[in-house]
Amino acid sequence: MEQRLANSWRMPINDIKFIETALLSDLRVDGRRPFDHRKLTIKLAKEDGSAEVHLGHTHVMAFVTAQLLRPYRDRPNEGSLSIFTEFSPMADPSFEPARPADAAVELGRVIDRGLRESRAIDTESLCVLSGKLVWSIRVDIHILDNAGNLVDAANIAALASLLTFRRPECSLSGDDGQEVVVHPPEHRDPIPLIIHHLPIAVTFGFFSNENLLVIDPTHQEERVMTGRMTATVNSNGDVCAIQKAGGEGVSQSVIMHCLKLAHTKATDITTKIRDAVEIHNNERALRKIKRHSSSVAVDVCGAVIGLGEQNQLDGSHLENLKLKEEENFMECEATPSGQVQSKDQVSKDFVGGPSSWDPYSECVNSDLLKASLASRGPSVPSKQKDSRRETKPKEPPQEIKTDSSPIDNALTAGQNNEGKTLKDAVKPKHKRKKKVSSNSEN
Amino acid sequence: MEIERGDGRSPNQLRPLACSSSILHRAHGSASWVQGETKVLAAVYGPKAGTKKNENPQKASIEIIWKPKTGQIGKVEKEYEMILKKTLESICIRTIYPNTTISVIVQASFLLPCAINASCAALVDAGIPLKHLAVAICCSVTDSGCIMLDPTKGEEEKMKAFAYLVFPNAIVSVLPERSLQAGSEPMTHGIMTSVTQGAMSVDDYLHCLERGRAASARLSEILRKNIGPKSTSGASKAG
Repeated sequence: MEQRLANSWRMPINDIKFIETALLSDLRVDGRRPFDHRKLTIKLAKEDGSAEVHLGHTHVMAFVTAQLLRPYRDRPNEGSLSIFTEFSPMADPSFEPARPADAAVELGRVIDRGLRESRAIDTESLCVLSGKLVWSIRVDIHILDNAGNLVDAANIAALASLLTFRRPECSLSGDDGQEVVVHPPEHRDPIPLIIHHLPIAVTFGFFSNENLLVIDPTHQEERVMTGRMTATVNSNGDVCAIQKAGGEGVSQSVIMHCLKLAHTKATDITTKIRDAVEIHNNERALRKIKRHSSSVAVDVCGAVIGLGEQNQLDGSHLENLKLKEEENFMECEATPSGQVQSKDQVSKDFVGGPSSWDPYSECVNSDLLKASLASRGPSVPSKQKDSRRETKPKEPPQEIKTDSSPIDNALTAGQNNEGKTLKDAVKPKHKRKKKVSSNSEN
Repeated sequence: MEIERGDGRSPNQLRPLACSSSILHRAHGSASWVQGETKVLAAVYGPKAGTKKNENPQKASIEIIWKPKTGQIGKVEKEYEMILKKTLESICIRTIYPNTTISVIVQASFLLPCAINASCAALVDAGIPLKHLAVAICCSVTDSGCIMLDPTKGEEEKMKAFAYLVFPNAIVSVLPERSLQAGSEPMTHGIMTSVTQGAMSVDDYLHCLERGRAASARLSEILRKNIGPKSTSGASKAG
């Protein structure tokens, strides 16, 4: 494609002067102070190893996958970590679809250096058979919207996705212990990666005036600034990497000042990432408990959308759920605009979907949930109905985990109960609600 | 005859749909289209100056970049790009901006109909003048001759044949007496694009068309609702 000169957008001199003059009074165009980050939102998808980060308007997604490969010759005991960045043309009109730009390559290298060479990810634990098979972790970073400071956002996305990634468990078997068996996630839980520390990248922008310094530049400020530096530090205060590729020369005192600033920023961002990951892990654990008792994911605190929520929920509630999360299972969502068949869906859903008639979709006391699921799981239909009518005793959680009745049982049970459950379920719902409110919070 | 589908839908039932626009900040127009679990993101930049070598400079040209979520760009993606390009060329008014290029970037893994719907919404969000909207749907034929709408990827692979159909959307006019006829048939009875795969009989194909047309009415409702006028738009995104 030939170069279209008219498309290389140049910033007007007025804007340049305005940004610089405003910075002299410690004001930035979007109202921040020079050392403030933009608003950071980390969204972790239901699948392991997928993260979406919004840093102001900058939008970045990261995916983590793993593969068994031969190790490098000089490191037979270590797995490998590789970062692939993709600058999608939708992020910026100047991104060409074919060849990766210099900035893309640089971004990939900076994140790679921060993660791999600082030994943040433990690669020795990725070794399966020394010299023959190791896990190779691949991080794909997609840039969807470039509003400045891609390095920081991409780094956070990569870290969040690595923290939530789970690799399948594998064991050695065979006569000489040389065969590797990879266990699918249904048989054995996948295990997380060992991550020692979180290297956080903080980008600084320098301007022609020596005293001007900003953190987290927007793309307009990036056009104006004359030099940039990215410092990757972790919350312990260790400097993992520094990248200052060209640009205006900066005095040493400024660099030291930057590193101290980066340290404080890194601790903030680390806590945010850890909080988001913890919420995700809690949801994941709840989902796993339900999977073990052959029941379906239930909406817990509005964050996880459940399968097969039926017409006990009123339409407005379903609408709220729909707006909260985009990855949906099919049956449960009756969109406001249209699926008139939500009522009809009920009877048909039981044919295909897993059984669930769980009547409540608000925050639920997890103990109570486990108790209700345990009583539902392995039983005969009639027993189910009776047990539901009574108030359930609290059963120990171990019962859930050992319960391994397959989903088919629950399906048929659900089907048989269909005629009875829907009405009956409404009554115990109120009883249980009172119980929930009287219980102490989790 | 009732065929059991994996997720419990009836043959005529669509997956839950959602459409949202203006989600990207830098792109001139953007839209996302969610159908069940498939999510497609489309962004539009344009009109930009200049056209490619083989394009007609008297008209605006449309450039499609199809990015699969994972994997490399292969022949399937190239084919989808071409189909999308031809479809969008027929709905844009190309003579208004000669010698320019409108770039449409689609991030999707498969499911061409979702991508067409998303790009149409993104074009409206970008303010590119269109003749009318386009609504796309996928119909598939099972081995027993039953028609199923909107199959998922897993269902699609098991089908005997399927067709992607794109229908023009009726113009909703303020003037009540304006006729929507093109010739002797109403406009919505036309087909803009049809891509079939697998072997099906002529009758099956005509059935698919009918069902698809009926379903496209609902799709166009959703499309229209989401690209309706917004209260206050942000700052100009040009540049």
